[in-house]
Amino acid sequence: MLATTLFSGMLVVVIAVALYARSRPLIASKSLSAIIFGANWKPSAGEFGLGPFIIGTAWVTAVAAIIAVPLCIFASIYLAEYAAPRTRSILKPLIDLLAGIPSVVYGAWAALVIVPLIADHLGPYAQAHLKRIPLLNAEYVTGYSVLAGGIVLAVMICPVIISVAEEVLRAVPQDYRDASYAVGATRLETITKVVIRRALRGLMAAVVLGISRALGETMAVLMVVGNVAALPKSVFDPAYPLPALIANNYGEMMSIPLYDSALLCAALVLLVIVLFFNVAARLVLVRGASR
Amino acid sequence: MIKRTTIAAVLAALTVTSVIASQPVRAAELSGSLSLSGAWAIYPLAVKWGAAFQKLYPKVKMDISAGGAGKGMADALVGAVDIGMVSREVDRTERAKGALPILIVKDGVFPTVSVRNPAVKRIVAKGMSRKTLQDICIKGTIVNWRAVGGRSAPIHVYTRSDACGAASAWAATLGRYKQDDLKGIGVYGDPGLLAAVRRDPLGMGYNNLSYVFSGDKVASGIVIVPIDANNNGKVDADERIDSREKAYKAVASGRYPGARREFFVTKGKPNTLARAFIEFALSDAGTKVLRDVGGYVPLSKSEKSEQLRKIK
Repeated sequence: MLATTLFSGMLVVVIAVALYARSRPLIASKSLSAIIFGANWKPSAGEFGLGPFIIGTAWVTAVAAIIAVPLCIFASIYLAEYAAPRTRSILKPLIDLLAGIPSVVYGAWAALVIVPLIADHLGPYAQAHLKRIPLLNAEYVTGYSVLAGGIVLAVMICPVIISVAEEVLRAVPQDYRDASYAVGATRLETITKVVIRRALRGLMAAVVLGISRALGETMAVLMVVGNVAALPKSVFDPAYPLPALIANNYGEMMSIPLYDSALLCAALVLLVIVLFFNVAARLVLVRGASR
Repeated sequence: MIKRTTIAAVLAALTVTSVIASQPVRAAELSGSLSLSGAWAIYPLAVKWGAAFQKLYPKVKMDISAGGAGKGMADALVGAVDIGMVSREVDRTERAKGALPILIVKDGVFPTVSVRNPAVKRIVAKGMSRKTLQDICIKGTIVNWRAVGGRSAPIHVYTRSDACGAASAWAATLGRYKQDDLKGIGVYGDPGLLAAVRRDPLGMGYNNLSYVFSGDKVASGIVIVPIDANNNGKVDADERIDSREKAYKAVASGRYPGARREFFVTKGKPNTLARAFIEFALSDAGTKVLRDVGGYVPLSKSEKSEQLRKIK
């Protein structure tokens, strides 16, 4: 049993080492900073700058987090504190069902529903009424955008966050709530000042889990995000996240020299970003606990 | 007196031998396994060919997988498969590594706009020259439909996000360009591109022959942009492509700018089994399978014999 645990733990290291080994040819011929901060991606001309993709990943994940986190925290509070047991028994399985829908199905739905919604409704509205806000510039809106990718990602990470957050809130012992009511707190005060404070670490863990899933989600995002390797200046601009780059070009990566190294380097960068994010979140959680 | 068992044994041996001997002897009783991998564009056709080939030679085991033209080329060059399916032109560095391209089928890419496009009347009447298409899709110097005869509205250029033969064929149609040079929003897959252009009145994209036609007519909601290949400012009869039959004719004639050639690639000359499969694909039986699948254009007789000569 120790062996299997060690094996699972070592798998991440093994994968990272393998990716690094395959990226070596590229890193040898261009410096690592030129690859990570380079702004031009043109493999046929020998330019392999991953900058636009890292920024693209950040944009789409940020939009997804901004949409999903408040929604999911409120939903989990409702499910844990307010919902009647019958309501909870219907809603929870429905939400868990969302987690089981394949990525490609989400992508097809988003391409059919979200993209036209943005192109025909949200875009023109933003162009007419929200011109002043820099991040909502909607001059050239095809619907394939950071916003579309963010919305579909938000829908995909909701079940993850709600599931964990609701469990965490329910795990707060009833004694805490009783004590709070006993000193005269209202229900809302109990929830905000007692339950959530007690469950904060767990809630943050739920959010981190959701965001980790968002960083790596590939198919659904690539079908609606526009896949243009340029820095987005508004949520209505297209972007090109790292997983989409790898999935789109995997079939042809043997045809140009260094292309396969570049794609595997992109995979390595994505792995490092996810690991870094998880480690940082863990540090925050640990420090929160020790205080 | 010869024992009865001996007579029975000899009779049995004679029967078995004559049964074996009376089997029709095929020129080569083919057996073994044949593997193919590569382009998505050729995959459906290869699967049908494989099934028909296996009917003819039941002892042969077919192993066909997709994975993209690049994978097909890479697999063929390292010997991981017998035949690589490559839906684009083979370049010099690949030939230098030993790739032998065998032209197997022709296809075409067709530029598309929505039926609700602001300039659709003029586009259908006058077509678009290669230079105009270059300016829109590669150089980005034309960005408004006003420049092509419609009302003022931005041109939403769409292209394929996945590395594919259709995109490299479209880039090659516009000049000596590669897929990287194509500007526009990247949409995944042929059907995705079609849906994007159909939905967006300001959109412009391109599709493979098998996707741009539904039945014999052009798919609903889109219009094929006639390419004014001879730059005479109007759409000649052979430049107007509004049915599947016309598309087949245009590609087969060799004069359609967006025609693409798709290849089987072997490392050096193909082995016996691979040669038999390629000969089957180029035979009349193979062409019948091709026509049944639909969406592909067969080679002419002279092209077929030239390819057969290559692999002898």
